[in-house]
Amino acid sequence: MAEVTDSMAHAPISSEKFDLSVEQVSLHFETPNGVLKAVDEVSFGVETGRFVGLVGPSGCGKSSLLLMMAGLQKATFGDIIVEGEPLTGPRPQDVGVIFQESSLLPWKTASENVEFPLALRGVDKAERKQLATDMLKLVGLSGFEDRHPFELSGGMKQRVSIARGFCQDPRILLMDEPFAALDEQTRMTLGDELLRIWEGHRKTVVFVTHSLTEAVYLCDDVIVMSAQPGRILERIEIDLPRPRTYETMATADFGRLRDRIWRLIRGSE
Amino acid sequence: MLSSSYRVLVQAGIVLILLGLWEAAVFSGLADTRTLPPPSEIAIHIVALLGDQDVLYNLWITSAQVGLAFLIVAPVGVAIGLLLGEHEYIGRAFRPFFYFLAGVPKSVFLPVFILTFGIGFTQKVAFGIFQAIFVLVISAIAAVGSVSPTLIKVARSYGANRWQLYSQIFLPAMMPVVIEGMRLGMIFNITGVVFAEMYVARAGIGHMIATWGMSFQMPQLFAGIFLTAFLSIAVNEVLRWYERRVDKWRK
Repeated sequence: MAEVTDSMAHAPISSEKFDLSVEQVSLHFETPNGVLKAVDEVSFGVETGRFVGLVGPSGCGKSSLLLMMAGLQKATFGDIIVEGEPLTGPRPQDVGVIFQESSLLPWKTASENVEFPLALRGVDKAERKQLATDMLKLVGLSGFEDRHPFELSGGMKQRVSIARGFCQDPRILLMDEPFAALDEQTRMTLGDELLRIWEGHRKTVVFVTHSLTEAVYLCDDVIVMSAQPGRILERIEIDLPRPRTYETMATADFGRLRDRIWRLIRGSE
Repeated sequence: MLSSSYRVLVQAGIVLILLGLWEAAVFSGLADTRTLPPPSEIAIHIVALLGDQDVLYNLWITSAQVGLAFLIVAPVGVAIGLLLGEHEYIGRAFRPFFYFLAGVPKSVFLPVFILTFGIGFTQKVAFGIFQAIFVLVISAIAAVGSVSPTLIKVARSYGANRWQLYSQIFLPAMMPVVIEGMRLGMIFNITGVVFAEMYVARAGIGHMIATWGMSFQMPQLFAGIFLTAFLSIAVNEVLRWYERRVDKWRK
């Protein structure tokens, strides 16, 4: 990963300590019953290298917020500042997205899928093939480079998605419930894998999930949102030591944090 | 559970039985040999026609017209369908024209094509294109609707521009549906070309069939019908083979 920096070197960030900053962002929809405030005046910042989770009941606007941070959805009001500049559209060198399941191009092989973002940027075929092979190895899929998605299990497909997200080497990675469609066991394994890769590359991560356990296990901070209007209830720091393991989940601190988030969400409904 | 070789055997048997019944009907006097020659005689004429330079030339002309029309109409039809299906404003403005015109019988336009393009090769190609384009455009519009919005989001998040979205996401994702439309379009295309040949032409298998029909050469007429059928089936099978290749990932 570190080898990919040359052509996409980043301008030094000035005094800005946030990689990503969401400022007074609202997303309103006109409906026959009036204005729906999917996201309502949400502000938060994400410091460099931090793993931040977004949780909340369905309809709290966490996925919409993520789309806006990816530059795929225009905010009705407010700004999203990435590395000091307001976002006006997708900025793949800075922000990468890992989507929910079935986001792989089904007609391309695992390797071609990982190469896809690089191919769009015109990276040389041999170079991107090498990078994809390395990334697939990192997510434990060596030997599966030439398989098509229909020949892979759900967990393997999501590993390819993760490899694709990391392969283009953005500073910020947004993940939209990447493990939602997986079974519990695969979800746990992939969570550990994700942490392992992240420890190695220290991307700034925003991770949307509806699993509180997953949020507490993975994140440095968890932002808890309420639905209609989609607002931030509280930002909770997860001060559990890293590296976290399966045993971490059995500790009293872990239970206490998850419990606190649960009460916040339930109380808002 | 029938194995595929067993199935082919059964199907071949059915065809043989039908041909046998036909043959028997003619020889028992049940059918009139003047209007319905026996299959054995037709088979002899098919072999004879396939050895006739003149017939081969006319078959080649028809194939060339159909092939050229397809090479033009396939990309053009898909491109128009993609634009009409994907581009909101252009789509809303122009889609109705295609839906309305698709329902009009194309054969009534044949005299216009003759007056515009004459009675030669160009007119046949143009009429084949005209016959096929509507079904192709409409199937391409439907194909656009079958493209997963997630894949579009993925490509946009990686910075794909409009051209890259079309070529890297829409076209490959549309292929399984589009290829169905191409098969339909091909049928319309062959129908158009052969029909135009039968109406007025100097060459082509349709022209020969019309001539044999008018001069009561029934065995040749039936042999020509079979040859045209073989040609269409061959074309359809090639497209189906391609479809299976393209469709591999859609499981």
